[in-house]
Amino acid sequence: MSLSLPMAIINVGLALLLSPLLEGIMRKLRARIHSRIGPPVLQPYYDLLKLLGKEDLRAGDPWLILAPILALASTLTASLLIPLGGEAPLAGAGDLLVFLYFVGISAVAVIFMGMLSWSPYGFLGSSREMMIYLTVEPVLFVTLITAAVHARSLKLYDLVLWNHAMGPQISMLIAAIAYFLVLQAQLGRLPFDIAEAETEIMGGPSVEIGGPKLALFRWSVQAKLLVFTALFVEVFFPWPKTFQFIPDLGLTLGKVLLIVLVVAGIDAVNPRLRIDQALVFFFGVTMVSLAGLALALVGS
Amino acid sequence: MTVAELQAQLKERFGENLTRMEERAPGKLSLTVQPKVLRALAAYLFAETGCRYVVSAGLDRRESSRHFAVVHFFARDPDRIAIDVNVFLDDENPQLDSITPVVPAANWAEREFAELLGITPLGHPDPRKLVLADDWPPAMHPLRRDFPHDLRPEPAEGVAFQAKEPPPGATVVPIGPYFPVLKEPAYFRLFVEGEQVVGCDYRGFYVHRGIEKLGDSVLTYNQIPFLAERICGICGYVHSTCYCEATEEAAGIDVPPRARYIRTIMLELERIHSHLLWLGIAGHIIGFDTILMQAWRIREPVMWLCEQISGSRKNYGMNLVGGVRRDIPPELHAKIEEVLAKVEKEATAIVGVVAGDTPLVMRLKGVGPLSREDAIRLCVVGPTARGSGVDLDARRDHPCAAYGEVPPKVIVKEEGDALARTLVRLEELLESIALVRKALAHLPPGPLMATFEGEIIDGLEGTCFVEAPRGEDFHYVLTGKANRPLRWRVRAPSYPNLQAIPTMIQGQMVADVPIALGSIDPCFSCTERLETVDVRTGAVRVYGQEELLRMTREGRGCR
Repeated sequence: MSLSLPMAIINVGLALLLSPLLEGIMRKLRARIHSRIGPPVLQPYYDLLKLLGKEDLRAGDPWLILAPILALASTLTASLLIPLGGEAPLAGAGDLLVFLYFVGISAVAVIFMGMLSWSPYGFLGSSREMMIYLTVEPVLFVTLITAAVHARSLKLYDLVLWNHAMGPQISMLIAAIAYFLVLQAQLGRLPFDIAEAETEIMGGPSVEIGGPKLALFRWSVQAKLLVFTALFVEVFFPWPKTFQFIPDLGLTLGKVLLIVLVVAGIDAVNPRLRIDQALVFFFGVTMVSLAGLALALVGS
Repeated sequence: MTVAELQAQLKERFGENLTRMEERAPGKLSLTVQPKVLRALAAYLFAETGCRYVVSAGLDRRESSRHFAVVHFFARDPDRIAIDVNVFLDDENPQLDSITPVVPAANWAEREFAELLGITPLGHPDPRKLVLADDWPPAMHPLRRDFPHDLRPEPAEGVAFQAKEPPPGATVVPIGPYFPVLKEPAYFRLFVEGEQVVGCDYRGFYVHRGIEKLGDSVLTYNQIPFLAERICGICGYVHSTCYCEATEEAAGIDVPPRARYIRTIMLELERIHSHLLWLGIAGHIIGFDTILMQAWRIREPVMWLCEQISGSRKNYGMNLVGGVRRDIPPELHAKIEEVLAKVEKEATAIVGVVAGDTPLVMRLKGVGPLSREDAIRLCVVGPTARGSGVDLDARRDHPCAAYGEVPPKVIVKEEGDALARTLVRLEELLESIALVRKALAHLPPGPLMATFEGEIIDGLEGTCFVEAPRGEDFHYVLTGKANRPLRWRVRAPSYPNLQAIPTMIQGQMVADVPIALGSIDPCFSCTERLETVDVRTGAVRVYGQEELLRMTREGRGCR
């Protein structure tokens, strides 16, 4: 693996500094669907600054502080593996698997956060988070492997290049649909914000964190917004490409914005499903994604 | 069954032990029985004649006749009969047989008179504290006539609610005392295995305001309507109407038709905005905030309309004993029609969305199940009962105001889940719009207030049933001296409905508990009317706005 430092700064910088804006745009759209004016689009930045400036109160286990740090750190590391407008800053053979591991670490961080909060709501949230992770992760894995089978590589940028060169494929379309169907769950949005479920379990894993810890946790959730949507548009919708960094980055971010708006729209017009209903749904999506993989294996 | 037939049956069955039986108002049968047959009589009424238990009231009548009394209220809804069962008790050591073993719905009401009046129900299955603060001295009974309304007992340390132990292997998930979906404090301890609820315990009554006590020791007949309206923040007009009609029945006052129609119109406008409010909250509970925002947007013109009619969005202050204080002038009719048309159009659209939205239906269907048998056994009321197939509506069964002339269409669904309760409310919303139109079209001319000379004499009884948005509201008034009632008993619809919650959430997922709870549209402030007590210290105190603001800024709690 090699690390390109200027590119790394761009990727992490976008994940940290652009993602609150995406969140702000989501809030604004949600408000418009509610017939509300909504907060300024910059509100998430203000929120983060305010939370970061607050006193760090202790609750639950002393090690609880590590959970949000780990969540944000693993998400930012995962962002280094995303090809944003060109080859990813931290690229190498098998970086697809490394990406999946970092996504896993961020989920584990959230699960620990709930466990370490010593609250029944935290425990319930963690057990839900675990169930969601275990059923959603296979979909992410299978859809990326579908592309990898085609590209005969486990390097994310190779998947992008292959898909760009080959044009639309049935198996890739199926994989894209499957990826999209679990995107709301990856991002913790309705109808799958089950692990947080404010009106049921008061935020679940994040019930006992506040101030700077909450800021870091929220920031990691917002950074995921960019990471997962950017990966989605790069791997599954790489067209058109100019192979020049700036225009390609602009195209990717434009597509990301579009997907974020769709995610916000779905978020606003759905109730929260129950965990058992969600698991049945994810199981169905896993089956769909496996069908895509089977097609890829026979080469279509 | 007519009143005469019921009287004959009771006479035959209980003979000498029925010491008094009279029809004190049309359809209102009042009995006095010997305490020894009370349980048998309650069992007979509840199980054999199919009467519904309404509530009980304890009375302190030591001043006039040297005894305590308890009245159990029953209703036989299809025949439009209400039955009061009086028992007179010894003034030294008042006790009587508990009827909870045969009428489970009497659980809370009996605990309430045990605490507040010191009348012991013998053989009660769960004699724990219900209403008063945990540190309230056990020998003090605040609703006794000789207990001053402003007495403050000393706070005590080291007392706590005797919570039920969870079954082995279950963990406790607390919902409350403060919780995002509970707009008021209440404490449900859920016993949970994994995600499944295997039992629960309830502690409520955290915010008592001494309303009944104020009514029968401080206020006068015509001041009480304004306090009654403040029992609830949503359906206050129901309470003031219910109190006024109970008092009017006791005193024999005939309310002019125009006033009765105006009461009906206001009651239905209240139902419209209450059901829209509920729909929004239900949406919020299951995470569908778009429903919350849109339902409340649709609701807003109704609030403005109420403000135009009465001067306030809420707490209309329109009722007095004998009539109403404000007219609905002809120039407002067009405005009302306009708002109704707008609300009807938008509500119809949102009803279509709710009924046709698959994820939404998934979250409501089969949730919080309450079978017809359980609904009858637990004597639930309103949409909670009608969603379980119990055809019950106080507007039709015990008509007050002008409901005799403009009867509603009663909407009943059989499924007994949160979806059925939702659909009942949504259809009722549209029916209420039709009712307002009908009442407005037939609004008779004439005076707004009855003429009444002299004073209301003491010792008269009146009851009234009003269908609130959440179900049947019931008030009992026993007239007293000094221009105020001797006893005023309020039973809001959430009082029986909340007691059905343990049945509804048994075996459900934790995720379904908030919406199951929400589906009865609970109103804790209605249920909790009695004492102005700080639960933690037992102290009674009133805080002004400036003081509260100062305390908030200083970051300290109430002392």
